[in-house]
Order: sequence, then structure tokens, then C-alpha cells
Amino acid sequence: MLKFQQVSKNYADVKAVDSVSFELKVGEMFGLVGPNGSGKSTLLKIMLGIIRPTAGELLVNGERLSEKGWQSFRKTIGFMPERISFYDNLTGSETLTLFARIKGGSVNNISDILDKLLTRGVLDRRVGGYSKGMRQRLNLAQALLNTPSLLILDEPTSGLDPIGTRELYDIIDNVRQKRPLTVVLSSHILAEIEEKVTRVGVMKSGVLKACGTLDELYEGLNLPLKLYITIKDKDVRLEEILKRDGAVDITCSNGHLMADLPREHKFKVLSSILEHKNLFVDFSVREPNLEEVFFGIH
Amino acid sequence: MVFTDAMKAIAHKEVSDKLKSKWVGVITVGFALFTIIIAYFGTATSGVASFRNMEATIASLTSLVIYFIPLLALTLGGGVIADERDRHNLEFYLASPISVTEFITGKFIGLAIALTLPAVFGFGLSGIVLVAKTGLGSAGSFLIFVVNSVILGIIFLSISFLVSVVFYERSKVIAFTIFLWLFFTILYDMGLVGVLVVTKGILSPKIFSFLLMLNPVDVYRIINFLTIGKYMIFLGMSSVDLPSFIKAPVLWGICLLWIVIPLMSSYYFFKKRYLE
Repeated sequence: MLKFQQVSKNYADVKAVDSVSFELKVGEMFGLVGPNGSGKSTLLKIMLGIIRPTAGELLVNGERLSEKGWQSFRKTIGFMPERISFYDNLTGSETLTLFARIKGGSVNNISDILDKLLTRGVLDRRVGGYSKGMRQRLNLAQALLNTPSLLILDEPTSGLDPIGTRELYDIIDNVRQKRPLTVVLSSHILAEIEEKVTRVGVMKSGVLKACGTLDELYEGLNLPLKLYITIKDKDVRLEEILKRDGAVDITCSNGHLMADLPREHKFKVLSSILEHKNLFVDFSVREPNLEEVFFGIH
Repeated sequence: MVFTDAMKAIAHKEVSDKLKSKWVGVITVGFALFTIIIAYFGTATSGVASFRNMEATIASLTSLVIYFIPLLALTLGGGVIADERDRHNLEFYLASPISVTEFITGKFIGLAIALTLPAVFGFGLSGIVLVAKTGLGSAGSFLIFVVNSVILGIIFLSISFLVSVVFYERSKVIAFTIFLWLFFTILYDMGLVGVLVVTKGILSPKIFSFLLMLNPVDVYRIINFLTIGKYMIFLGMSSVDLPSFIKAPVLWGICLLWIVIPLMSSYYFFKKRYLE
């Protein structure tokens, strides 16, 4: 759908985005993570055709777009900005009607999901009295007004409680079940990204440091596995064994032993653990999560 | 340029905002009262209070309108972009399938209508009273005065859009708006008179007239002066010997430039600031 080829964006001497290459595939849910100032917002603006790259190319369905072409392509994009205040003096319904006219969409396009986002009573109230969560729901509603094929979500759950977060993602899943919808999700909540996306891109200082499925990222970065052992009678012998066999960052507290297990030592360490069954109650090994990938890169 | 549905929606929102906030209503009543008071009490200094002839009223109104309308227009449009940016609504517009021209023109047309309504209805209603009291003969002059006042407002609205785009911070927008208002309504003419005095009349009438054209307030004054002829003394312009090429159509053409150039510059600077 969208193909970034060595895309860079400079602001004076600052490289906001530096030679980013990746492809957004039709129907996928792509996560974009990175700390503040890593270039995520600039990349989203390039994706929306708001700003043009300083160097490199962005192809849309294999084509370079002109300004008119971008304007036309934006008819197929739904964008949910991180912060949007709307107009305090308009009701929710009036806001959606206004935004639909501007986007060339219609409130009827979202009639099947609107009542799940905001009740009739809330829609009839002025936006000035909305909570942050209500504004976010209205924000998602406006993003879907033009039945987009690409939905770009910038921190969509900011201000939402856990139930609101779940409901918001349920609605997006609901839309995706009905028709092909490519979603780009930019968020600081890594657990959310980990749970929802099929692929993820990790940005740092304008550079796309890693991009792929979560499994590809774990393997590509060669991050150690996480080892958890519940030891018997606070016996410290197992700690010595782990250290000997190559486990690192070993910590032990209240009968629980945690360690990082470099992949090249995993068989040796696991064999040693199994040889000393009498020293522990239980043990588990897991892949690092996205947060650990994130901190591994940063 | 086609007036697209998105432009209509943006323009409609601006007009309805100003109607709902009673801005249009208050200014309309203000203009109407202001005109009646000036028309009726304008002769009070001579010991009589009664409706004067229309030309004298237009002259007095012109002297006051040059302060009020630019101020209204500058404050109306000065915050137009800063407001959207501060409320983070600008991102929505930029990501929408509309062009910068549609966005800015939609806003401009909406605010121009909001500014035109009080001028038309406020001056219009009081104009009907004046015509009833002084006769139909000068109705045309008053109508031209209303049209010119609307044009003056639109010129300053266009200037305010440019200020709103060029200056990023709201405080700077406000400060520069006030400065512009002072510059065009007071400082420019003061400076011009100063130059005339210092150069002891070296400036030819042509150059002087050209310099007057650089200030939309002076252009407005001159068009009204051409309309009311002998009452020019009320405008403080009795000593100005205008060259023959200065006629109403030329001045309206200059007004058009004063609208188009700042507005086009707004498009340019908006693209430069937000889309590069």
C-alpha cells in the first residue's frame, strides 16, 4: 500500500527522519513505537502526505503522487490525531456533520458503530462538556467518517480507561472484520502495540532501528530469553550453576530467581536446570516482550 | 475557483459561530446606534440637534469607521490559524482531503460574511431612517459608503489572515495586530505629513497620492471623499490635490489588490510553515 524508500526529512540541520525504508501491507496492523522526538510524528505526517520528504520516495500503491494525488489519496485515509479539541460550542453530532462535509464523508457511514462509541445523549451535548475519553471516542468516529482503507491512529487510547481502551479496539477490530482496513498504530503503550499489531517499527533519533513481526524483532536483536525459577528453601546453589553456564543479570529475592538467558547458552542452562530438579519448585522461560525490545534498542 | 462543499462547511461554521456568539448582533446594533447618534447629534455643537444631510453624516461616519472596522477585522481574523493550531484541530484539516486554498478561503469567506452582516444591517437599518428623514436623494452616496466600509473590513481581514499565518504565537499575533492597526490608522498618515513638512513640499502630488494608495485606510477615505465631494473638509483632506487618474474604479482596483495580495501571501506562508 505505502512503500517508504530511503525516506528522509530534514528541518534545517536536524534530521527528523533518516533514510527510512519499509512497506505497509494492505490489511495489516502496523505499530510504530519510539520515544518522544524519535521521528514518529514526522513519519506519520509524511504518510498522510502533509509534508514531503527531503530525500527518498514514498510510493502509494506503486506510484509517486502529486499534490492533487495526495489530496485524492487522503479521501481514503482516516486520521485520529493524538490531541484534538474540536469546537466547544458544537454538539458531537454537529461536529461529525461538519467533519463529514470537510472530508467528503457522511455520518451514515458510521451509523452501525456510532452508538457503540457515543450514546445519542452524549452526541446531543456540546463538546465543551466532554471528558477526555469522550473526545477520544469522537476522534475515532471522525476518523472513520470517510470509510477509510488506511486508518492512522496516533496515541488513540490516551485519556481512556481500560474499559474504554478495550471498547475502542473492539470497534476497530469490528470494522476490520467487515472490510480490509490497514491500520497504523503509534503508541507509547507498548503492551497495547504488542497485543494488537502484526508488525512493528521501532524508531530512534529519526532512524527506523528495527522493523518486522515481534518474533523477527526478538530474533534479529538477539535479545536474551527471560528465565524465572522458584527455588526450594532459598537454596542459592542454582544461582551458582546458572552463573557458571552463562546466564546473566541474575537476581534472587524471596525464593524467586530471575535471569537473562543468552540464546547461545539456552540448551546448556536448561539442561543444567533439569539435572537439578531437587533445587527448584517450578521454572519458566519466555521471549522478551516489546518493552524489553524497546529498551534493548534504546 | 470552485466553491467546494468543504469550503462551504468551513465558511458556514465561521458565520454560525459569530451569529451564535452574538458577535454579529452586538456589532449590528452598535453600527446602527452609532450612525443614528452621529446623524442626529452631529450638529449639536452649533446648538441644534437634528438630522443633518447625508453627506455630512457620511463624512463623520468615515472618520470613525476608519478606526472601528479595521480593529474589528484584525481581531476577527488575527487568531484564525493560531486558534485552530492551539486547539490541535489544524492537524485534522491538514490530514483532510482539502487543499490549503480551500481551508484558508473557506475561513476567509466565512469571516468576511460575518463582518459584512453588521455593516450591511447596522448601517442599512440606520440608512433607512436617515433616508426617511433627509430624503432619497443621497441614498446612493450612503449605499456606496456601506459598500466601501465592507471593502475596508475585508481588506483588514485579509491582512489579519497574513498576520495569523506569519506569527506562530498568539501573543505575537495580538501585538502585531495592534501595531498594524495603529500604523494604518494613525502612524502612517502622521509619518506622511512629517515627510511633507521635512521635505518642504518637494514631494509631487503624484508621489504623495501614490503613497496614500499604500495605506488602505487612505484609499477608503479618498473613495468616500470622491463620493461626497464638497464635504471633503470633514475628512481632513481638503488640502489634498488628487491627480486626475485617481477615480473610484482605480481605487476599487487598489482595494482588490489589498485583499488579494495578503490573502495569496497567507496561502504561501501557510504552505511554507505547515507543509514543508
